[in-house]
Amino acid sequence: MENKLPSFLLDQPSPVSFKQGKGRIKMGFLEEGIHHLAQLIKKGYVQWELSSGSGLFQKIDARVKVLFLLFFVIIVNLKRDLLSELYIGGFIFSLALLSRIRIVTFYSRVLFLGFFLGFLIAFPSAFNVITNGEMVGPVIRFSKPINFWIYHIPAEVGITREGIYGVIRLTLRVINSLSLSFLVLYTTPFSEILRALKVLKVPDTFIIIITLCFKYIFIFSKTAEDMHLSKKSRMVREATHAEAREWIAGRVAFIFMKTRLRYEEVFKAMIGRGFSDTIKLYGFPKMRTGDCYAGTFLLFTGVFFLFI
Amino acid sequence: MIRLEKVSYTYFDKIPALSDVSLKMNKGEKVAIIGANGSGKSTLLQIIGGLRYPVSGKFFFEGIDVSEKSLRNKGFLRFFRERVGYVFQDPDVQLFCPTVLDELLYGPLQLEISKEEALDRAFEIMKMLGIENLKDRPSYMLSGGEKKKVAIGSVLTMNPEVLLLDEPTNGFDPKTQCFLVELMLALNEAGKTLVIATHDLSLVDELQATVGVLSEEHRLEKTGNAADILGDEELLLRVNLIHEHIHRHGNMAHRHIHSHYLFHRHESE
Repeated sequence: MENKLPSFLLDQPSPVSFKQGKGRIKMGFLEEGIHHLAQLIKKGYVQWELSSGSGLFQKIDARVKVLFLLFFVIIVNLKRDLLSELYIGGFIFSLALLSRIRIVTFYSRVLFLGFFLGFLIAFPSAFNVITNGEMVGPVIRFSKPINFWIYHIPAEVGITREGIYGVIRLTLRVINSLSLSFLVLYTTPFSEILRALKVLKVPDTFIIIITLCFKYIFIFSKTAEDMHLSKKSRMVREATHAEAREWIAGRVAFIFMKTRLRYEEVFKAMIGRGFSDTIKLYGFPKMRTGDCYAGTFLLFTGVFFLFI
Repeated sequence: MIRLEKVSYTYFDKIPALSDVSLKMNKGEKVAIIGANGSGKSTLLQIIGGLRYPVSGKFFFEGIDVSEKSLRNKGFLRFFRERVGYVFQDPDVQLFCPTVLDELLYGPLQLEISKEEALDRAFEIMKMLGIENLKDRPSYMLSGGEKKKVAIGSVLTMNPEVLLLDEPTNGFDPKTQCFLVELMLALNEAGKTLVIATHDLSLVDELQATVGVLSEEHRLEKTGNAADILGDEELLLRVNLIHEHIHRHGNMAHRHIHSHYLFHRHESE
């Protein structure tokens, strides 16, 4: 066999030594982003799969938790005063504590998403261009009001008290809704949520879409991370920004293609095991007395928040 | 050449993969890491390949501590990657270039080898592996065996000094498995250090490698030569690489230790 090896494979490596290279390798922004996204999704997935701790919420039946989520999200979005939103936020915080969730990780995700989905989106409405009211922070002054098409820009543009109130209210609503969702997601395995949705008569099509999306996201993130490792094993130098962009642009389609093929195989495996367009899940056990008490407590607490 | 000192690793801070593994490998050696599924073989190989970093413990290559920090040094990154090649268990993971030829050229071009020499290397490797007809195919249009050949070829074109092979014979037909074993032996004779992760005991026997046995508790149970380890039935039973098995021949029931290649030996024999 040895004489069949290409001659370059018989070359001996250079003597053992290495020159301390000048500078350090910096991972490209896009590359690092892909890696971290894949890690984040995978961590979330594992956390979800392993959400079987011994805290308060983990012990409650998934049907109760899904109904609690829907009921409280409606309440959070019906309340108009800030104090009620803060009370609800405090209640969710205490539930998270009792469920032994890692509070710092939990709220760092909630606040990060709350900032983008709540505060940033609502912030422009703090200005008197959108919300009229008492001016508390003038920003710019024009010589005269500007009228453009259907828009009216007053001579003095600034932040209004009513605008700030609206932004805070919307941000709190988003944060509370996210906290509720994360609380249920962190304390309920995915399969339990699906079964609860099925029991609550959510259409099969909707459940299939959620299941397949979930599977697809995981396969996609796994493919992206594997590709990152594979590239890393053959990277001997720092890629320039242009090379990194070119690589990523070239691989996006490739990743989608690979993921789609893998996903199709998963779907074929589902069909191979008798999957049709109806989801058949084994039934939930009977609700325990503890779940009934927990459900009643959460119902009355919700009603209380609704009327304060 | 390779030294691991009390290396431990956990996934997501929850799932243990390796626990206090210490191991030494010499230049030109053939080493097989064996263990049952989930014992941590691939994780160990990825740590040696500088793809994951120990949660605790140290890994040294040629006496230099390999860590996330040291691999951010340009000089050391090049030194390490041109010497250590990694073949993934799942070839789908490894192949990310548009065509087979691009895949084979990726490594040499990274090493800044001239385009002519890189092409020469790619064609020589394709010829050796018998995949010249696949050069313009995208990887997702290859069979499992072809993908694995391309994955191995993509690392060989870089001519690394150390080859890390994760389940190298998985997915090959018997003829190709035999070819691959011969190739590994030839590469080792040419001076390459081979580190393979496998649960295929016949491969260990054929390579006559130095063996490290990982237990299901992710610890290194024992190291030794192939004959010592393969002869230690009690150890292999304990780490779940072989199992006791009862079956009938006509009216006679046999109980024997079973492994497809080495231990299909009846007590009455």
